[in-house]
Amino acid sequence: MTQYLVRRLGQGLVVLFLVSLLTFFLINLAPGGPSSLVDISTTVAERNARYALYGLDRPVHERYVAWLGGAVTGDLGTSINQGLPVSRLLMQRLGATVVLALTALVLAAGFGVLLGIVAAMNPNRWPDHVVSTVATLGMSVPNFWLGIIAIIVFAVELRWLPASGIVSIGRGADLIDRLRHLVLPASVLAFGLMPNVVRVTRSAVLETKATDYVRTARSKGLPDGKVMRKHMLRNALVPITAMIGLITTVLFSGSVVIESVFGYAGIGRLAIEAANGRDYPVILGVTMLAGTVVVVVNLVVDMLYAVIDPRIRHG
Amino acid sequence: MKVRGTLFRALVALLFALGAAVATAQDADTSAVLNLATNADPTLNPWTPGAVIESNLINTILFEQLTRYSPEDLTPSPMLATSWQAEEGGLAWVFELRQGVVWSDGDPFDAADVAFTFNDVVLNPDLGAQSASQFSAIDRVEVIDDHTVRFVLNEPFSALPYYLASFAGIIPVHVLGEAENPLQVASFNKGIPVTTGPYKVAEFVPGSFVRLVPNELYWAGEPKLAGMVFRIIPDLNTQVAEAMAGQLDVVTRLSPQNVRGIESTGALEVLRQSQNLFFFVAPNHDDERLADVRVRQAMTMAIDREAMIQAILDGYGEVASGPVAPMLGALFNGDVRQYPYDPEAAAALLDEAGWTVGPDGVRQKDGQRLSFYMPTGQFGDLVPATLLVQQYWQDVGIETDVQVMEWNAYIQDVVLGRNYEVTLAWWSMPPTADVAPYFSCDAAQTGNNIPNYCNEDLDRIMDEGRAALTLEEQADAYGRMQELLAEELAYIYLWWPDILTAKSVRLQGFPEITANAAFQHSFDWYVTAR
Repeated sequence: MTQYLVRRLGQGLVVLFLVSLLTFFLINLAPGGPSSLVDISTTVAERNARYALYGLDRPVHERYVAWLGGAVTGDLGTSINQGLPVSRLLMQRLGATVVLALTALVLAAGFGVLLGIVAAMNPNRWPDHVVSTVATLGMSVPNFWLGIIAIIVFAVELRWLPASGIVSIGRGADLIDRLRHLVLPASVLAFGLMPNVVRVTRSAVLETKATDYVRTARSKGLPDGKVMRKHMLRNALVPITAMIGLITTVLFSGSVVIESVFGYAGIGRLAIEAANGRDYPVILGVTMLAGTVVVVVNLVVDMLYAVIDPRIRHG
Repeated sequence: MKVRGTLFRALVALLFALGAAVATAQDADTSAVLNLATNADPTLNPWTPGAVIESNLINTILFEQLTRYSPEDLTPSPMLATSWQAEEGGLAWVFELRQGVVWSDGDPFDAADVAFTFNDVVLNPDLGAQSASQFSAIDRVEVIDDHTVRFVLNEPFSALPYYLASFAGIIPVHVLGEAENPLQVASFNKGIPVTTGPYKVAEFVPGSFVRLVPNELYWAGEPKLAGMVFRIIPDLNTQVAEAMAGQLDVVTRLSPQNVRGIESTGALEVLRQSQNLFFFVAPNHDDERLADVRVRQAMTMAIDREAMIQAILDGYGEVASGPVAPMLGALFNGDVRQYPYDPEAAAALLDEAGWTVGPDGVRQKDGQRLSFYMPTGQFGDLVPATLLVQQYWQDVGIETDVQVMEWNAYIQDVVLGRNYEVTLAWWSMPPTADVAPYFSCDAAQTGNNIPNYCNEDLDRIMDEGRAALTLEEQADAYGRMQELLAEELAYIYLWWPDILTAKSVRLQGFPEITANAAFQHSFDWYVTAR
């Protein structure tokens, strides 16, 4: 088990190294440059001074080696446009995105499993049709559009919820206020991801429903609820966990769109600002953070398989 | 008669001032918090590289300058300096500083802060301070006593008091003096900076908002609002929607397309402000086809600029006859050669210059074709404007190869690298007729003289303007400069756009002349009671 973990972590580091290499050269070789260095009225002398200040006058490969040396020791460099350490920018924004992503994940997984079970228990009857219609809508409606519609309906027309932001100005410590700001973005994000969970749950439960051991459990007189929990769900959990793992990585990219629509100051907005302003160190920092999340989530999901299904052994 | 006229005007002005004072005292809602927007996290230091549109207006409130624009005619008026005077025939300027000004942390403001701002920050070439090139005429700033400084110049620079009013905030030496790089102190730029303005920062939540509260130590007394909030809203359409829903009191840099919806609410009014800003097509003077003035004049006459202003700006603009905008009053000279839309005259002029229509409809001369590489950047209305110009020129037999580039790449390659034959862009300048940084031989090839235009006669006139100490002398020199520029068409001038700002009708004391001047006078802002 330990050996497996070490091997997987080693592989993860290799992946992250390749991601950093590719990203670094791609962004540095793209035409243009950081927006704070090339604004239209900057003269050549000013631009040269700024390039020297940020070390951008050195060759790309030298800069990569310098960046890598810093990254290994936890120093991701300094934002060119904001003048703050990248790690600090990431920490400022990470909390908001984690809260948003986890809330959306819990909503998507919770409602997804629930609706999937409802559908599987009533195959091809009306509850199944309702669930599959909702799932199809969630799959096909783009979430930026849904976000704008949600703002118009719930914020502008009904005035139930705030349109944008993380917290009302001057009410930083108010938990209820934060939750109210979270409802719309988290729901919209979850709505788009939930169908995956619904479909996997439905087919996994349907599959176990037809197995011999479930028939045996029923015939020996176990109550329906217990059969569901102990026999069907437990076995259906492996594909569901795999799907939730996949969703977690998609959550990250989904939050880029949702954070922009709802003016939610998280990692996604930071990524867009950095890309628009060609802020090389921040683009790299966000990419590395996203890469790390994907690597870690995949590892955790693989470990969870062994917990859920004792037949699966890592070695 | 004259005396009576002046007396009468003075009386009227006094009555108005009294009326305004009474209205302020009675109607101001002192509990009002003003909501404004900016498109990205601001950098709270006016000199930090990259502190541009997202930071300019909030920095104008926070960091006071030696001078500011008068709300009547944009002449420099006292702010942190109370008076100034040129010495040594314009090679030095002495500024008397205001007494009793304190920084928001309680430390007194004095001459050392001014000397630090210029000597150690703006004039330090290693820091690459924002718009430092505008101050290249300054050699150093000398401290005469605690409240007197002398700007020692390399060359005469009569526009100095104007430039000192243009995003030239003074920063505190006692806070930033020890920093390795005073432009990159995070706790200052992205936290709570130490400032002298009427409002100071109370809270900066990255990505969300910056909250300002009154500066109780302000030299002119307590300001009239309970505070201001700059919300960070990247999208202009969202800003407009929030304003229409009553969530924002001021929206700057509106596009003409937003105006009608905003005015329909009744709670907001749109101000047509101006700025010393002109749009142009730069002809590359290194290209010998464009070095012939007749070609440039024909290219100007071939463009229907009135129609373009209607199409692109919904009419919110004016045909430009040169780089100096009419808002400059005495320094503006509108009595110069004009080029009204006349495609026939343009064609005749091109014929006269030897460029005759070839078999493919494109003009040619000695085996050369009148065909130009015209790159453009994805920014604002540059692309549609470029395509319209392409159409107009095609009508008179001038071909253009339009390439659309990503904005940063455009600046790098076209603006800085001069890799173009013609290109459409704009210059935004301080409100002065001193346009040398955009036209002088010194600024060709490496500076902001994008067309690489060089004319020694022009340089001489601009030097005269820089050395002229009275307004009359300046008006004379710059008047001749504008005549020459209209004749020569160093740039093909397109238009002076209106700068559109929406504000709540309840917000008063808000100078209408330019957005920058309005924010320099934020102390006078108040909100009327409902």
